[in-house]
Amino acid sequence: MKKHISTIIVVLFAVWFFQSGVKPPKETATDFQINAFAHLPVKYEGRTKPMDTLARNVLTVLSDKQSVRTADGEKVSASKWLLDNISGRPEAMNYKVFRIESLDVLSSLGLEEVKRFRYSYADVAPNIGKLDAASRAAYAKSEKQRDLYDKQVIKTANKFYLYQNIMSAFEDPSSIQQEQLMAVAQRYMRLEGFSIPLVIPPNSGNEKWRPLMSTLLANHPAMQSMGHIGEPDPTAVAYGVMLAAYREGNVALFNNSLMEFGGLVMADNPEVFRKLSFECFYNRLGAFMKSAQLYLLVFLLSCFGWMTRKPGPIKAGLTLMICAFIPHTFAIIARVFLSGYPPVTNLYSSAIFIGWAAVGAGIILELVYRKADGMGNLVGSIAGFVTLLIAHFLAGDGDTMAMMRAVLDTRFWLATHVITVTLGYMATFVAGTIGIFYIFAGLFSRRLDTETNENMYRMMYGTTCFALLLSFVGTVLGGLWADDSWGRFWGWDPKENGALLIVIWNAIMLHARYGKMVANRGFAVLAVAGNIVTAWSWFGVNQLSVGLHSYGFTSSATFWLLVFVCSQLLVIFAGLVPLRLWKSRPVQ
Amino acid sequence: MKKIVDFFLSLKLTVVLLSLSMVLVFAGTLAQVDKGIWTVVDQYFRCLIAWIDLPVFFPRSWDVPDIRLPFPGGFLIGWLLTINLVMVHWASFKVQVNGGRRIAGLVVLALGVLVTLGVMFGWGTAPVAATEDDAFWRVFLRLGRGTLAAVIFYIACVLLYRKRAGMVLLHGGILFLMVGEFLTAMYAVEATMTIKEGETVNYIDHSQQLEIAFTDKSNPDHDSVTVLPQRLLQVGDVISSDGLPFDVKVHDYFVNSTRPQPLDSIPAGIRSGYPQYEGYGSRLYVGEQPEVSGATGARNAPAVDIELFDRESGASLGRYILSIWMYPNFVNRAWDMPTRIKLVDHEYEVYFRFRREYLTSPSGSPYSIKLLDFVHEKYEGTQMPKDFASQIMLVNEGDDVDRELRIWMNNPLRYARRTFYQSGYLPDDGGTVLQVVRNDSWMIPYLSCMIVFVGMAAQFVQSLRRSQRSNG
Repeated sequence: MKKHISTIIVVLFAVWFFQSGVKPPKETATDFQINAFAHLPVKYEGRTKPMDTLARNVLTVLSDKQSVRTADGEKVSASKWLLDNISGRPEAMNYKVFRIESLDVLSSLGLEEVKRFRYSYADVAPNIGKLDAASRAAYAKSEKQRDLYDKQVIKTANKFYLYQNIMSAFEDPSSIQQEQLMAVAQRYMRLEGFSIPLVIPPNSGNEKWRPLMSTLLANHPAMQSMGHIGEPDPTAVAYGVMLAAYREGNVALFNNSLMEFGGLVMADNPEVFRKLSFECFYNRLGAFMKSAQLYLLVFLLSCFGWMTRKPGPIKAGLTLMICAFIPHTFAIIARVFLSGYPPVTNLYSSAIFIGWAAVGAGIILELVYRKADGMGNLVGSIAGFVTLLIAHFLAGDGDTMAMMRAVLDTRFWLATHVITVTLGYMATFVAGTIGIFYIFAGLFSRRLDTETNENMYRMMYGTTCFALLLSFVGTVLGGLWADDSWGRFWGWDPKENGALLIVIWNAIMLHARYGKMVANRGFAVLAVAGNIVTAWSWFGVNQLSVGLHSYGFTSSATFWLLVFVCSQLLVIFAGLVPLRLWKSRPVQ
Repeated sequence: MKKIVDFFLSLKLTVVLLSLSMVLVFAGTLAQVDKGIWTVVDQYFRCLIAWIDLPVFFPRSWDVPDIRLPFPGGFLIGWLLTINLVMVHWASFKVQVNGGRRIAGLVVLALGVLVTLGVMFGWGTAPVAATEDDAFWRVFLRLGRGTLAAVIFYIACVLLYRKRAGMVLLHGGILFLMVGEFLTAMYAVEATMTIKEGETVNYIDHSQQLEIAFTDKSNPDHDSVTVLPQRLLQVGDVISSDGLPFDVKVHDYFVNSTRPQPLDSIPAGIRSGYPQYEGYGSRLYVGEQPEVSGATGARNAPAVDIELFDRESGASLGRYILSIWMYPNFVNRAWDMPTRIKLVDHEYEVYFRFRREYLTSPSGSPYSIKLLDFVHEKYEGTQMPKDFASQIMLVNEGDDVDRELRIWMNNPLRYARRTFYQSGYLPDDGGTVLQVVRNDSWMIPYLSCMIVFVGMAAQFVQSLRRSQRSNG
């Protein structure tokens, strides 16, 4: 009974932890129905999504966060922030959402360095012309000639261009004078060439998604009088009135026109609402961040349990890990359902998938291998935590469920090649992580006795076999994709080479073992080196092609990759310390 | 002798060779930051001795001396690994069975070889293989055929090698994969095909090889074409061809040249040294420039500087600069600039172009492809491509083929031992560029992938069960 009580407590804790923030804040009939607004459809970057997702993505790009705090410290949801901005509320200018870290850029904008590096549009507005000029000058240079400052300027200016484009897409042109109409129309035509949010869904009068500002312009009395444009679009009118009502603070009118807009779209094209409320739920659940936090907790619990050889914390840790694994799994399935693509399509999703698979591997190790002894917990939880953290930092590029370019858009290969090769990365990392624990436990503690030594080696060996199998098959499948797509099985492309290096490394490890060139400790050291190979293939290769000509430390990914490589080298050197200096003296 | 044998029998050699190959692959990957992929492939992988540029290992902003280090190349490592693999298996994986079992094993092995050859040479595929639906089934069927061969081989290995079956099979698969890649490196040919909408084309461009083509336009009934292949175009040589009434002297050959620019836009200093050309060269400037390097996707634009001489009198008939920039397929049909040469009784149209090969099926009958429609779809509200597709008509009168087909991203057409891939498009979506590949060993990776998979899986399952048994 006592056993069950601790399990029940852990499960209840996990449920409580995950449910927080899922329910939208209460809104009464006399409040603005912001939650309903968050569920409105928008087509942006080729995908139909709720306004909530657009708001969160834009905010993430601008400020690396999914919500804003006002000067008084009040938390504002992304949707409300977006609504404040696109409707033109005066206070919108004062949200501190633009993250500018570069001191050079700040000083050129005449801004002081502040805590968290976040500035409002109003802060930057007086000097925004300067920023624009500097970024144009930087763009004019070839990529090779751009220095650090140029890159920072471009990065900062892009945030403002993105913001301005989105704001322009929601402009209300109804009060524009007739003589300016042509200029405005031309500006809108230009804007439509960029990627801007399209909020007016296809209906009986028009089969395309359209941005608000152009649709409203077509409704402009002067344009109407020119004759060649049809009836005013009632959906666009409702949307325009809704934003105007919000700007004026008219709650009843806002809520009415919101409902009117929804009703019109629902009547004409109910298809666009599909999946939207599910996506809002997915957003609010925020499963990955919460799972990451729990994994960290599992790791601490299991460390304690493993070092002190207490089964209680290990068992509780396993329960908690399974509890965190379920929402993690659910969120990955949700992404597949929402995007219509297999789980791994970009770096972000590869990170959450590797984490997921590593946790899964940890759970299986713990449940199947009787002598795992908490090692499955340790490896799964730390890998889950770290990869989800990496994913969190990778999410800053915007929509993590972006559409795929034509060449990559084949679900079959994404589902087979990408998944297998990603599982290969995962297995190599798992073996490497066990290797790290092996070295630390042996060097700094007496925990690595003869039995543990043998068990840990067996786990490393088994995972390495899996890693070799998966990475080999995954790499060859990638070649087959290339052959099937452009007739070249192997083209020595950087990404292919990266995958090949992992295959060769795993092969080296196994052959070194079969040839008795290494024993348990040597195998652990090789496994840690496998982490370097895998990390380079996963991230380093992308740095080559993205930065192409610069190895500079400008890109934070390059920096962190180097940090990681150095840390692994340190572990390797630690593993090579003569055995007489080790605290554990396992008999090999 | 024993020493040499022992050397090749050692697993240490395997580990050393694999480690060397890692360094080579790593260097070859980094080198692609500065050099084109084909240069790298030749310099690092498809050679016995690779020359590794020292600076590739360092940030490009550092001033590292440009030293080239010799290193075992891809072919050398590959050969040594092959010898190593075969020797180790020969010595330590001897056939351990006799009598009926041995014979049965050999029979199954022969069957496996037969199935493999059948799969390689198109058993179970249609002569015109275009995808009608998802890639899914097509690839699955291929892997399925590979699995069939792999399973037959596995049975043979179990009969012959008992417990070591998986080990032998997986290494056999690796060997097969390496052989396949070697064959591809030696014999695969890549070309392109450019077709405008509505146009019918019956030839491909071999973009790695060049030729000068003289088309005699003077006969109203037919044109006759005389071709000077690239290997004849040696600087300083005078070429006499039976098809031409004049000799061709090669003054200069540029591996890469500048895009032709109006001559008056060129600084006087450079212009004064520019030869007195007839044709486009009298108005346009074409200069030599260094070979393209870098993963920029840029291509070399070769040019050749020739002079024609009357065969009887030896008098010059004019000097011409011919650049690949004047060949329409090089510039995606943006323009067409044939050099026209008028002689007393002949009129020629001259191109310096990619080597042209006319399409014929294995039975020898010519065929052609007509582009009916080209579709370039984008995601709504973005410039991001969603799909490229060419709707084509494949016509081969001799083989009685007349079919409308679709070639699109990831879904090529396989016909007459060539594969046609959607690769690019002409400006304003006015036509398509197809990549055309001839590679007779293309099925080997499918086969060897499944062979290795079956072997490795069997081996690991076996050792897993063994370790469980020893545990319990």
